[in-house]
Amino acid sequence: MDRLIDLIPLPYTDAVVALGALVLGVVAGVLGVVAVLRERSLVGDALSHAALPGVCVAFLLTGVKEAGGLLAGAACAGIVAAVCIVLIERGGRIRSDAAIGVVLSSAFSLGIVLLTAISNRHDADQAGLERYLFGQAAGLSEHDVVVTGALGLAGLLLVAVGFRALKTALFDADYAAAAGLPVRALDVGMTALLVIAVVVGVRMVGAILMVAMLVSPAVAARQLTDRLSRLLPLAGVLGAAIGVAGALLSAREELPTGPTIVLVGFAVVVASIAFAPGRGVLWSAAQLRRDRRRALVESVLVDLATALEAGPPPTEAELCDLSPRPPRELRRGVRALDRAGLLGRDGDRLRLTEAGAAAARRQLARRDEWSLWLEHGWRLRLPDAREPDPRDLERSIGPEAMAELRALAR
Amino acid sequence: MSTADWQIMLTAALVATACGLLGPFLVLRRVALLGDAVSHAVLPGIVVVFLIFETRAPLPVIGGAAVFAVLCVLLIDALRSTGLVKADAAIGLVFPALFSLGVLGVQQWTANIHLDLDATIYGEIAFVPLQPWVIAGVELPRAAWELLVVVAADLLLVVALWKELKLTSFDPEFARTVRIAPALLSRVLLVAVAITAVTAFESVGAILVVTLLIVPAATARLLTDRLWATVALAVAVGWVSALGGYGVAVELDASIAGAMGLVAAVCFVVAFAGRRVLERRGSPA
Repeated sequence: MDRLIDLIPLPYTDAVVALGALVLGVVAGVLGVVAVLRERSLVGDALSHAALPGVCVAFLLTGVKEAGGLLAGAACAGIVAAVCIVLIERGGRIRSDAAIGVVLSSAFSLGIVLLTAISNRHDADQAGLERYLFGQAAGLSEHDVVVTGALGLAGLLLVAVGFRALKTALFDADYAAAAGLPVRALDVGMTALLVIAVVVGVRMVGAILMVAMLVSPAVAARQLTDRLSRLLPLAGVLGAAIGVAGALLSAREELPTGPTIVLVGFAVVVASIAFAPGRGVLWSAAQLRRDRRRALVESVLVDLATALEAGPPPTEAELCDLSPRPPRELRRGVRALDRAGLLGRDGDRLRLTEAGAAAARRQLARRDEWSLWLEHGWRLRLPDAREPDPRDLERSIGPEAMAELRALAR
Repeated sequence: MSTADWQIMLTAALVATACGLLGPFLVLRRVALLGDAVSHAVLPGIVVVFLIFETRAPLPVIGGAAVFAVLCVLLIDALRSTGLVKADAAIGLVFPALFSLGVLGVQQWTANIHLDLDATIYGEIAFVPLQPWVIAGVELPRAAWELLVVVAADLLLVVALWKELKLTSFDPEFARTVRIAPALLSRVLLVAVAITAVTAFESVGAILVVTLLIVPAATARLLTDRLWATVALAVAVGWVSALGGYGVAVELDASIAGAMGLVAAVCFVVAFAGRRVLERRGSPA
């Protein structure tokens, strides 16, 4: 352990904090995926609030403020709270968010009442009991790091061993139960791990940071992949990266560690939501713009081809009158066609270039194909029941089915 | 009973009414923990007010806190409306970030000044009678006057937008087709929750507000399917918790907010157990 810390080119305390953030990041990242996919993201919040009555009971029983006993009390209370959440959800009427909320507020209310009961005994030793669990970001020891690491290893091992069952249970719990998978055992195992991780993590970084450490890596990783087998390791890596980056930044700028890690995590999530390829907000917006533009250009092309078929080449104004589209949109479409080299001009009269005429023919042929599909498509025997893409029927259903469709139409 | 007892019970009952009116909608929309999120997210608002106006007086603090509470709920709503993040995860992302901003602010700029957060925003219901206000010849605690305004506003909102809130809570897609904007209503509701929560935190403390927003509403959900009955029952359970909890607190000499929360929890457990028993009896053995 000492040698490992010596390897890191940082002052001793900073190295321990960075290492702790790394270990906690991996553990929370992987376990957080399970919580987020089950819509129990805030379970960490409930468990850390539930620690208060646990600590109070442990203190009432032992009468001393000693770390081991209080921690055990917090862990027991966490497990009781987790079992209550699962039981309330199983009742079927209350969903996960409300179940978590009910347990959180009930446990914390109990904790406050126990705190007043303890202070009523005029016991000088009780001062600061409630602070024991909240907002201690800095004091991190090698011991904490080792405990978290061992725990994390156990958790990762369980996830790896139970991966297939976990996957089925996460996406279709009813099917998993019907297929005879040990869903309940798995649920209990994962929840217990989460409880221990939260109890240890809250000691290290505080209740609020623990919530963020569970949620941010999972949400960020979810934007980047759809496969659980990649989501779990990716969330672990992101968690570690967020933890270490936050710890290093806080060491350099002399900022408090916990909040810095949370804000780094939030920045990563916002970036992933905005830029994720194929899924992010900006990507979808760009895709929508491209689709709209393409639809506009194609329909203006057809409008122009129809007008040319019917009579002499129209001017732009005449085309506006012929087309059902608003004039401003139509003019934009004409400009785009011009830029693409599909449109020629004789004075102010519009005509199609050779490429433009070919494109218009292709477009009209596609429309005819779609009409064929609507009329005769039901007689085709296709391997899957998905609705084909109206923009390119032949590619959706394949050339053989297309030929069959044409034969049916004749 | 002394005047102080009545005033504390009145204040708690007002909080219970405001929370009971709004809580069922939060539970239906899967954002039950919004109260908890807001209770943490207001911290930067308090720090900013303290830095700019150098005051811890209640009204500016409520104002600053309200700004960040509204920011918090709008951020959560925006994240959720991208469709990429579920409501619970959106809450878990936003409030730790805002809280962290507040902690950074406290450590960077107010290190030399005593800004005790517990005392600034998280009020204590036992001290409510210490600040009486006389309005139109009636003497009530300041908190009660403020909460009266909030309850009236919430009641007006829920009654005026009843049909819209009901529809958008159960079937936002259908609401869109009949030209009721679900996104706008969601924002109106969340902002109302933010303002209600901030006002109530300042007078009775965060945990009591969080509890009264969730537990009575969840209890009512166990007992009925009808929305109006859910809201009415949530207010009723809130009143039972407020008045019963005060009795328990006086009897045991315990924390008032804690005892009220515990009575609410007992109501939930009774409803949950009762429902299980009825279901067992109802199903063919």
